[in-house]
Amino acid sequence: MAEKILSKDGLTGLIASVTENGGRFIAPTIVARQIVFKKVAAASDIAGDYVLARNSFKEFLFPQTEVIAEFKLGKDKVEMSGVEPRTPYTVVFGARPCEAASLAGLRALFTWDFVDEFFTKRDEKTVVITVGCTRGDDSCFCTTVNLSPEATEGADVYMRETEDGGYSVSPLTDKGRKFVEAHELAFSSGAAKLKPLFSPEKIKEVDLKRISERLKDKSHYDDPVWAKLARKCIGCGACTFTCPTCRCFDITDEGTAFEGERRKNWDACQYDSFTLHASGHNPREHQYQRWRNRFMCKFNFYPEKFSSKGCVGCGRCIRVCPVRLDITDVMEEFSK
Amino acid sequence: MNNIYLPHLVTIDEIIEEAPDVRSFKLVFQDPALRESFEFKTGQFALYSAFGLGESTFCIASSPTRKGYVECTFRRSGRVTGGLAQLSVGDTMGFRGPYGNYFPVDEWKGKNLVFIAGGIGLPPVRSVIWNVLDRREDFGNITIVYGAKTVADLVYKEELKGWDERGDVTLVQTVDPGGQTPDWKGKVGFVPTVLEEAAPAAENTVAVTCGPPIMIKFVLSTLGKLGFADQSVFTTLENKMKCGVGKCGRCNVGDVYVCKEGPVYTAAEIKRMYNDF
Repeated sequence: MAEKILSKDGLTGLIASVTENGGRFIAPTIVARQIVFKKVAAASDIAGDYVLARNSFKEFLFPQTEVIAEFKLGKDKVEMSGVEPRTPYTVVFGARPCEAASLAGLRALFTWDFVDEFFTKRDEKTVVITVGCTRGDDSCFCTTVNLSPEATEGADVYMRETEDGGYSVSPLTDKGRKFVEAHELAFSSGAAKLKPLFSPEKIKEVDLKRISERLKDKSHYDDPVWAKLARKCIGCGACTFTCPTCRCFDITDEGTAFEGERRKNWDACQYDSFTLHASGHNPREHQYQRWRNRFMCKFNFYPEKFSSKGCVGCGRCIRVCPVRLDITDVMEEFSK
Repeated sequence: MNNIYLPHLVTIDEIIEEAPDVRSFKLVFQDPALRESFEFKTGQFALYSAFGLGESTFCIASSPTRKGYVECTFRRSGRVTGGLAQLSVGDTMGFRGPYGNYFPVDEWKGKNLVFIAGGIGLPPVRSVIWNVLDRREDFGNITIVYGAKTVADLVYKEELKGWDERGDVTLVQTVDPGGQTPDWKGKVGFVPTVLEEAAPAAENTVAVTCGPPIMIKFVLSTLGKLGFADQSVFTTLENKMKCGVGKCGRCNVGDVYVCKEGPVYTAAEIKRMYNDF
């Protein structure tokens, strides 16, 4: 059967075609021996044979820091004006099926009643291309959250690696179809032998249904097991920053007493100051309470409140944790 | 673009020193159209900014029955409130709101009302108090139990005097043991204890309380003892907030986003929440 193919040369043409029109092409590339999502200029910059990038691509929709307003204090008056976000046409290439599934939750949150256009305007201009997983590691647990190496949730275009170093191409959404049409010269038709996908049987699995049920019963909240499980957490927040679904932020002013800007910066529920009241009272005074909040957010609040996944099983939080606090160990405990 | 984080500019019209480190601002919108059209409901909150320092969340302490301005009362305790405390009459600050739900005052017509507040928990309750006093005939008996650490820490001192002198309000004032002055004529004791002594009748009565978390906890238990049903008791949760619009992720009590589903809750709702206060 003839299908759409993106060859290695075609990929070079695709990057050129996107960037020529002022777009940015984001793909996994190697920085300091790690795979990182970054703007790339050529197909040769793109890493091959990786599990997934260290960072998630959420930072291209929801930057780590961004200016939302500017102010100027004059002698007789103060001026404050909003800032339009820079929203270049963005193509995210080589995302994994797990992390693309985080988009539904981010969209739900940022449009819940009040619409955060800093997110939606970027989202509108972003095409997400996932590539099915041919590799996995001990930290992967996508099957637990009902995803798989070939899941397509959140992807505009889904690709599979071919044995000759190219990709087979399946546009899934209107945005994806338009993208393929707009850059049709990069694609060809034909048949190609696909590389085998990573076997889902090799991915660890925990009973998510059981966890959801356990968490719905509020009595677990005061169970001393939380303090025991989270005891080694040092509150560094690395898990939240690498997580594709975590999206908490702070709003702060920067500048001088006369002019400056208001910024939206990533924040983390793992920090003690996150919920600290001016009075000194802190509803989540202990680290295990913050850890419990993160776990509950992922496996109870998000699914119940936003009908979307709070965790996509990418395993970044496990790989990055300096004390090896493995979220799947906690999941095991609550699936008993 | 519609920027949900962009505040309105307001001018400080009046400053009242309420207590050590506590002051009230009367704020007027700089945009004349907004000054006319601005509406809020009693119990809603806003984010107030000191430029260069950031935003802080306080309730709107004035009543929606008083048009043309809003008031807030805050304690100087951090960076933003420290910056706000340095502002003078005529200065500009930012105001973003109103946000959140409100006290269903219209549903309380014909009922008796009991207000119980501690320290700087009086501002949100004061919005309700003025709201009902401005249409006094709609309600039955009104009782206010208010306490602070010391006599100096009582806020709205002039208004307390006014409420005390009114014939249609019962005001019980108290200070914590050790906080009294030689000429103090009010009670000495913690708010929940004083409330129990005052023992307002629960029949056809709605109670509204706000104060430090520990006070609220004991007041809710005292009200239970006095026979108040959980759905007739209201409080407002003042958690730390940054966005006010359900995005930034810190005001949640378990699965409940205080900024959007609160800050006003009945005791029945509070009891159904996760123990995350």
